[in-house]
Amino acid sequence: MTTRSWLLLLASLTGLASVISLLAGHDVASSVAALLQLPGHDPLQRMLLLELRLPRIVSAAAAGALLACAGLAIQARFHNDLAEPGLIGISGGGALAAALALAAAWPAQLVSVAAFAGATLALLAIQTLAHGRAAAKLLLAGVAVNALCGSLLTLLITTLPDGGLRNVTFWLMGSFAGASATQAALLLTAAGVIACLLWRQAAFLQALQLGDRAAFYGGFDVGREGWRTVLLATLACGLVVAQCGMVGFIGLMAPHILRRLIGLQLRPLLLLTPLAGALLAVLADLIASQALYPAELPVGVITSLAGAPFFLYLLARQRGAHA
Amino acid sequence: MLEARALCLQHPARLDDVSATLRPGELSVILGPNGAGKSTLLHLLGGATRPLSGAVWLDGKPLAALSAAQLARQRALVEQQPARPAGMAVDTLLTIGVAEHSPAARQQAIDYTCIHDLLHRDCASLSGGELARVHLARALHQLLSSDSAPRYLLLDEPTAALDIGAANLQLASLRQIARQHQLGMVAVLHDVNLAVQHADRVLLLKAGRAVASGSADDTLQLPLLQALYDTPLRELRDDNGRRAFIAG
Repeated sequence: MTTRSWLLLLASLTGLASVISLLAGHDVASSVAALLQLPGHDPLQRMLLLELRLPRIVSAAAAGALLACAGLAIQARFHNDLAEPGLIGISGGGALAAALALAAAWPAQLVSVAAFAGATLALLAIQTLAHGRAAAKLLLAGVAVNALCGSLLTLLITTLPDGGLRNVTFWLMGSFAGASATQAALLLTAAGVIACLLWRQAAFLQALQLGDRAAFYGGFDVGREGWRTVLLATLACGLVVAQCGMVGFIGLMAPHILRRLIGLQLRPLLLLTPLAGALLAVLADLIASQALYPAELPVGVITSLAGAPFFLYLLARQRGAHA
Repeated sequence: MLEARALCLQHPARLDDVSATLRPGELSVILGPNGAGKSTLLHLLGGATRPLSGAVWLDGKPLAALSAAQLARQRALVEQQPARPAGMAVDTLLTIGVAEHSPAARQQAIDYTCIHDLLHRDCASLSGGELARVHLARALHQLLSSDSAPRYLLLDEPTAALDIGAANLQLASLRQIARQHQLGMVAVLHDVNLAVQHADRVLLLKAGRAVASGSADDTLQLPLLQALYDTPLRELRDDNGRRAFIAG
């Protein structure tokens, strides 16, 4: 299949999943009537669909795309297929900083900035600890930073008087429920911009596949371009964390599933990864909202339930390849 | 001209006051025992490693003053163990580091290295020798598509994956390319006899010091080489006066 066919297929599947998600739990005829404002439609249902469901689905899709982009970028930069923003602690740093900003009653716009700063700080810490590119070290440093951020976050939330801060589960397991139209628009714009900027890094990321030094010999300022890539990833991740909490493993699963389906070529991967991430996130959100309806599961439960075994599978396969 | 002026380095290998001048149109060879710092010197010349003191000058400018993109137009390097990126087609690999697309340069690079049949293969499926040729083609493409001058091709053990016949052909063709395109070729070699046959200029490096440098005839002499490798050698000559060195 060509890249174009995959693009169409993924876009259609994401569209289909979004429509199913939009209409889930309601009778299709009345939902369509409400959406098209046919005579006799229920205005409450229309409001529910357009002001609650739609922003939620758009947020989920955009967040998924952002996380998948972040995952792919981090994997390419660190030459490490197992790297993922959640696993290596970037999301944890972002969540902690966002929660701190909320606790300090910063305005909403600054919360995303704080999350970005937190994610970047976490990344710096991990890079210093891991000292370069050894695969296992990066992950181990990530585990430590993750644990630290997670416990500080829990400490912060439990010691603060009940107030504007959302609960621990939101931060640690993520949720797209309650996303506003503004949030959805912010995430969607960010997803578009970051995916395009990452696409512009394609030549660099391709050269990087030959190793850092070879990329330098190929004319790339590896330090500067590498930071640009990593900042895009932390920005993507920070934004998602600030708006939706920590939704794990999408950054790991989306690029890997694509690699199995379309091969390892970087440019098609860069093009398709955001869509794959969007599809996974919309599906995960659909399951999270419908599995125990009317109760709602945090979406991170679903992505982790699928992602953790997937990670173990990748780890086992990597070990097999090295043996 | 590419000039190393009084280069000193501690890590990853020790280099002590190494100077050398490399000219376009010539094949220069760096010879020396294992651990002498040959590859390190090559990466200093390429700009990926910075010296502790001293500097490498390219065409009258210190390398540190040139951007990575500017450098890539004037020098390329083929590593000793080049990467084998899984999922990347040879065709795609050839474009890496090439700033301005030039079909003629691409074709020349493919012709020189005879990789016509490999273009659609995945890099992961290539043999060691094929991979070496593909990376050489990529580096040639990078330089030949640039109109800057002078241009240098740095090669870290370009014959390591090749048999005796292929290695000989490789160096002969590299020397010819150097002449034809006025490229300065700098190759780290282990085989003294390949240097005897093909080198224009030679730098002998031992424990981070330049023992001798100059024309191939002046430097590839029995006493110098014995001292270089700390090994008794014998020099053989055939009826045409061609020389070879064997150990023992």
